[in-house]
Amino acid sequence: MNMTIAWITARGLLGRRRSWLLLPMPVILIGLTAVGIAFDAPTIDLADGVLVGLGVATVLPLVSLIVGTGVLGSEIDDGTVVHILTKPIPRSRIILAKLAVASVVSAVATGVPMFVAGTMVDGTRLGLGLALACVAGAIAYSALFLALSVVTRRPVLVGLLYVVIWEGLVSNLVAGTRTISVQHYVIQFAAELSGTTLFGTTVSTGVAAVMAVLITAVGTWLATQRLRSFSVAGETS
Amino acid sequence: MSEQSVIHDIGYQRYTGPRLGRGYAARSLFEHGLRVAFGLGRSAKAKIFPWIVIGLVMALAVVVVAVKAQSGEMILTYQELPGAASVVVMVFLAVVAPELVSRDLRNQTLPLYFSRPIRRSDYALAKLAAMATAVWLLMAAPQAVMFLGSAFTADGASGVGAEARGMLGGWVVATCYTLVFSSLALLIASIASRRAFAAGAIVVVFMVTTPVVALMDELGKGGTASQIAALFSPLTLPEGVREWLYGTSSTDVGPFGPVYGLVMLLLVAGCASLLVLRYRKVSL
Repeated sequence: MNMTIAWITARGLLGRRRSWLLLPMPVILIGLTAVGIAFDAPTIDLADGVLVGLGVATVLPLVSLIVGTGVLGSEIDDGTVVHILTKPIPRSRIILAKLAVASVVSAVATGVPMFVAGTMVDGTRLGLGLALACVAGAIAYSALFLALSVVTRRPVLVGLLYVVIWEGLVSNLVAGTRTISVQHYVIQFAAELSGTTLFGTTVSTGVAAVMAVLITAVGTWLATQRLRSFSVAGETS
Repeated sequence: MSEQSVIHDIGYQRYTGPRLGRGYAARSLFEHGLRVAFGLGRSAKAKIFPWIVIGLVMALAVVVVAVKAQSGEMILTYQELPGAASVVVMVFLAVVAPELVSRDLRNQTLPLYFSRPIRRSDYALAKLAAMATAVWLLMAAPQAVMFLGSAFTADGASGVGAEARGMLGGWVVATCYTLVFSSLALLIASIASRRAFAAGAIVVVFMVTTPVVALMDELGKGGTASQIAALFSPLTLPEGVREWLYGTSSTDVGPFGPVYGLVMLLLVAGCASLLVLRYRKVSL
């Protein structure tokens, strides 16, 4: 962890116009929940359709994808990563600083609206459970996408394939693949923490916890290893 | 010319041949755009993502043909294919649209294009045409594969004729999807100069609107709100148009069929005009 790098990363991430891209998603999440409650939608539909369908399955992975690939990927893209790499700072600290910033930004950008929306739907306990589960999910996703941005030159597209094809299509059809799907860990954490029966999944809490920690650890380790032998090159043709 | 002033005469001449004008330049841009969409003439790395997507959609068509050959049952009709593949097609948009427009913005090649005899609107429309053709091919080619597979198992000429009509209907539906998807995606991508952010923005716009439709459908309980729900997401709008045109979709549009057609036309026209406007104002 290096505060200077963390600070530079946070400024590069939030100090630009494109950080506004993150704002509409939480607003739509809360707005849709409010509209649903105003029109007396059944709680189970709101929980399953909006909180899980929109919040956990769409907003959380997309926010984490944009932030997680943005912290390191954009520096690699425009070549300024060289300035950090030539400083006498261990690569593991660079990765940890980037991971911390990505996790905090994604966790705040998804946890807060999820808390608000969850509280509106079924009380504070559901809100807290969803928010904490989203924080855990944001950390796991950030580690995953941070590793992607060092492993491949097109991290956003690979991340999209994972989120849309693997988590969106495959894991809903083939239940066995849910053990490697961060989305289902988050659903399970939220269900366990809030004790709700409104939604659930087939992954057990133990497996989800172990896999989430494993994905975070492997992602961080892989990113550090790849950054140690990183070759600077231009955009892919 | 006096003798001492001559240094060299290396034979410079004016070009006196035919000049290929604006149409040729726009056509070249379209052709290049179409090749870029599929990564043709580029490195293997540029081919990975488009061809993964093409492989997935083709696999869907092949499964349909295989099931039909074995059991005679069509698990997915021609018209259902674009809807079933729509999420995968969305990934294709996120791959191709930034490739077509964001690179030119980022590498600042626009001044080079605009110093040629094309107008700014030509550039925008040529890119849009290339994008639309690529997306249409992505959906129409698997339908053609389904047709070929079914035609060989069909009984007699009338069976083949019915399959051909089915495929043409499927192509019309594919055209609806193409128009909505490509105009919207290209407009979004033309605002972002970074490919990664353009791809992210496209997926955000397409995916965040889907739960809105589901909730409205739920709240409307089959009433007016349910029937106009599908208008609010680009992923479901073409399905509503299909219901209006053919009445074969599971989307209930009630009496609002023409509204779907109108909204689709307005959306496509609006996105195309905004795209042209964007390039009129673009900073070089």
